[in-house]
Amino acid sequence: MRLPGWRRRDDELDEEIRSHLRMAIRDRVERGETPEQAEAAARREFGNVGLVREVTRDMWGWGWWERLLQDLRYGLRFMRRGPGFTAVAVLTLALGIGANTAIFSVVDAVLLRNLPVREPGQLVLFRSVGGDRFDIGGHNGSIVRDSSGQTVKSSFPYQTYTRFREQQSALSEVFAFGTIALNVNAFGQADVASGQAVSGNYYTALGVPAVVGRTLTDDDDNAAAPPVAVITHRYWQSRFGGDPAVVGKQINLNNNAFTIVGVSPPGFNGTMNVGTSPDVTIPISWESQLMAERSRMKNNVWWLRLMGRLKPGASLEEAQSQLSGVFQQSILEHRAARISRAQAEGVEAPAPLDPNAPPRLAAFPGNQGETNTRLDYKLPLYTLFIVVGLVLLIACANVANLLLARAASRQREIAVRLALGAGRGRLIRQLLTESLLLATLGGAFGLLLAFWFKDGLLAVSDWGGQQMSALEPRLDLRVLVFTVALSWAAGILFGLAPAWRATRVDLAPSLKDNFRSSSSSPRSLFTKSLIVAQVAISLLLMIGAGLFMSTLFNLRRVDPGFNTSDLLLFEVEPGLSGYEKEPLANLYRQMSERIEAVPGVRSVTFSANPLLARSATEVFFYLPAAAAAAGEGEARPAGTIHVNEVRENFLGAMEIPLLGGRAFTTQDDARAPKVAIVNQSFAKQFLPDGNPIGKRFGFEPADAGGIEIVGLALDAKYTSQRDKAPPTVYLPWGQELSALGSATFEVRTSGDPSLHVAAIRQAVREVDRDLPLKGIKTQVEQADETLAMERLFAKLFSLFGLLALVLAAVGLYGMLAWSVTQRKHEIGIRMALGASRVSVMKMVLRQGLTLTLLGVVLGLAGASVLAMNLRSLSHMLYGIEPTDPMTFVVIAVFLMLVALVACYIPARRATKVDPLVALRYE
Amino acid sequence: MPKETRYRNRIELLQGTLDLLVLQTLQWGPQHGYGISQAIKTNSGDVLRVDTGSLYPALHRLERQGWVSSDWKVSDNNQSVKVYRLTAEGKKRLASERSRWEQFSEAIARALNPQGQEGEA
Repeated sequence: MRLPGWRRRDDELDEEIRSHLRMAIRDRVERGETPEQAEAAARREFGNVGLVREVTRDMWGWGWWERLLQDLRYGLRFMRRGPGFTAVAVLTLALGIGANTAIFSVVDAVLLRNLPVREPGQLVLFRSVGGDRFDIGGHNGSIVRDSSGQTVKSSFPYQTYTRFREQQSALSEVFAFGTIALNVNAFGQADVASGQAVSGNYYTALGVPAVVGRTLTDDDDNAAAPPVAVITHRYWQSRFGGDPAVVGKQINLNNNAFTIVGVSPPGFNGTMNVGTSPDVTIPISWESQLMAERSRMKNNVWWLRLMGRLKPGASLEEAQSQLSGVFQQSILEHRAARISRAQAEGVEAPAPLDPNAPPRLAAFPGNQGETNTRLDYKLPLYTLFIVVGLVLLIACANVANLLLARAASRQREIAVRLALGAGRGRLIRQLLTESLLLATLGGAFGLLLAFWFKDGLLAVSDWGGQQMSALEPRLDLRVLVFTVALSWAAGILFGLAPAWRATRVDLAPSLKDNFRSSSSSPRSLFTKSLIVAQVAISLLLMIGAGLFMSTLFNLRRVDPGFNTSDLLLFEVEPGLSGYEKEPLANLYRQMSERIEAVPGVRSVTFSANPLLARSATEVFFYLPAAAAAAGEGEARPAGTIHVNEVRENFLGAMEIPLLGGRAFTTQDDARAPKVAIVNQSFAKQFLPDGNPIGKRFGFEPADAGGIEIVGLALDAKYTSQRDKAPPTVYLPWGQELSALGSATFEVRTSGDPSLHVAAIRQAVREVDRDLPLKGIKTQVEQADETLAMERLFAKLFSLFGLLALVLAAVGLYGMLAWSVTQRKHEIGIRMALGASRVSVMKMVLRQGLTLTLLGVVLGLAGASVLAMNLRSLSHMLYGIEPTDPMTFVVIAVFLMLVALVACYIPARRATKVDPLVALRYE
Repeated sequence: MPKETRYRNRIELLQGTLDLLVLQTLQWGPQHGYGISQAIKTNSGDVLRVDTGSLYPALHRLERQGWVSSDWKVSDNNQSVKVYRLTAEGKKRLASERSRWEQFSEAIARALNPQGQEGEA
């Protein structure tokens, strides 16, 4: 710990001082003083040796450095001397800091981190705002409402992209990207990949180079160019094992041969929402070829996200104002394209626009790319951040209490050092160095824990399932800086008060041997408030845990209206492989028959949308009576309904009871009259009078009576367990084949569905060996995935609540144990005077439980205030009030029981005090 | 702690003069810390007493500045002592400190005795 030469220099100084004293004594003795007198006088004359040594050392020029080393040396000695104390303090801090580091790494990855591209601060993301009554046709992307209630759309038509690129503006680059669903068939193996179509300048504008091969160029984004694709590093690793020979090879994308020309760098997961990663990137020019009838280009859908890069020194506002005019122009061009396409197909041209309120262009910072899903995670993540922050506070309070207890036992040492001339500032600095040392050690272990916490965090919470599968929270330099800063802040937080208090000793009594009895009351007041705060905070977290656990429990217990057990789900997208019309119908028929033939399969059905998966088709519909009354062209929709296109046996296979009418049959095909089955809430809401069977409705005003209701089903949940069953219409798949380009198969098995996966895969392969299955899971797993956020809250609140409770219990235990040691003498006297063991135990228990009770009362009050004010959080609850008295009482009792155990151990020890030993101890 | 600040203040107050006194004492030959303090005390007719809390920091500082050097000698009664001597640099420093002190004390004297100055002129 010392620099070379330091010890020699120190020894020399000591020797110099000693020789000074020797000479002074000798002189005095020679002058006739007795040796004793001489020594005393010489020492008096010399003054404070320690201080002279210290101020002289200061002259060596590196005093602060040497002092720091000395402080560290003292600190290490201090830690070595109390290994138990050190272990508890470091572990406590490591838990608190580790939890914070892990959450921070996720917060950083989801909310804070910039895109890993050149100068992300220059990037601009465009959106359109308003224009609710301005019909733009199809929009493929996200539509949200901003804080002022305006509609914000994420995507633009291709026309806007070309206009923006032509226009001279504050932007040096404009680029576009949109999602595209891809079936990938590579080296004889088929699977579904996430894809994106981008403008040719996408990679150069972002400044993202290829790690192998090359990225795309403008020349590739041209219908005449050979079809090429770039894959992400993730996909390269997971699908092709990182084989560099993949570059230059051909793969089939939706049955079109593409050449892989390059791999984008690791860590770059595109510019779409956080946690998503496009596996394969192709030029926009190939979208219409790959998507065929569903092409957004051909159908004039708004599907492209637009971003740009600002010229140096240019501002967002400039870009926005320079491009607003061209944006309006591009809307008109898009409309003209829609009209001419409609005319070419001989259908009615798009409805008239409301010209008064077209959408406006808005420019946003693009440093994080598309940010919509980030916003969804803001509330839960910051809530968790507060939770782990509270846990760290409790940990700090614990360590502060430990330090106070230690400081009390070091009172003599401190008093001696003060008496020897050490400055109070110097001592505080030394004590703080010790706390910072503890904190640094805690931080180091915390970082290790964080590696492990973080993976656990991702595993328990799966952060929205598939949606966030590409999330990669890393413990990098940023996180390290955060951890170090946090540790030191914690070190100062828990170290300052004890250091301040420890150095405020009254010298005289402390130096006398019996100072022990003067256990200073302000110290214990401080300790007591820390204990109360700890109990209150952990109660708060435990109540949160209780509420979210009940919510999860309630949601899992919800009856969805169908049987979720032994049900295997998987998804296919034959539309991507070019299946449509009769071949598509044949495929589904053959698949169903083959799977039905698999041993152990009880029934097979399929639907356009899976249940309890937050996915649904919502449409307007019309009722004939209202439509007729309104007259041609002015009919208002009767309302919005949820639609699911299903196999004829769907209700039976899913075990949704039919209340009246009939189920679908294979006869309900394209040639037969159109029919539907509705659920109860549809009937109740839209056809309240009498039997709905035989009534009619339609999806077009001109055909408002086109579909006959032939059956009435019991309500079944559709999108999630939380939402009530919406008015729902089931349509027979044979009459709605165009909606079934992709479908989810529901296979009811006998026994564990996962045992049948291989056989089912094989059955599908026998029908089409290139048709990939995706999202294979049980219905129960699917339902749980929908509850990801609830599970996240329940699990993490419980985890951190328990952690907080354990820490608070340890703190309570430590405080009482220390106080029993301090009061041994007093307890001994009490017992000598006739106090029974029971009354001694009661005395100690009372001390601990009074504090706990105070903490519980404060915690309950805090929890009710929070529950009544945190609306956004209480919206996450289900089937339980945020101030649920049962939860409050149960948690409070539970906490009191834990506190009782924590108090009992030191209380029992107090009763073991032997009055004779305690009294002799003085 | 007030004690420490008291020492520090005195070091600063005395710094210029203490340096001069130390260097001047060493002009007559190498000397140890105790000897220097005794010499200053005796030569000033017991008026100036140098605090060890000022002397040793000053010695160590002068050594760091290169004006004095030190080595360990064995004294008459066979004990090792640290002895300081003036360096060539230190001699120059002493000369300039001296003349600065003389100018200073002259100026103080003149300021305290304005008539005398007029009379001379």
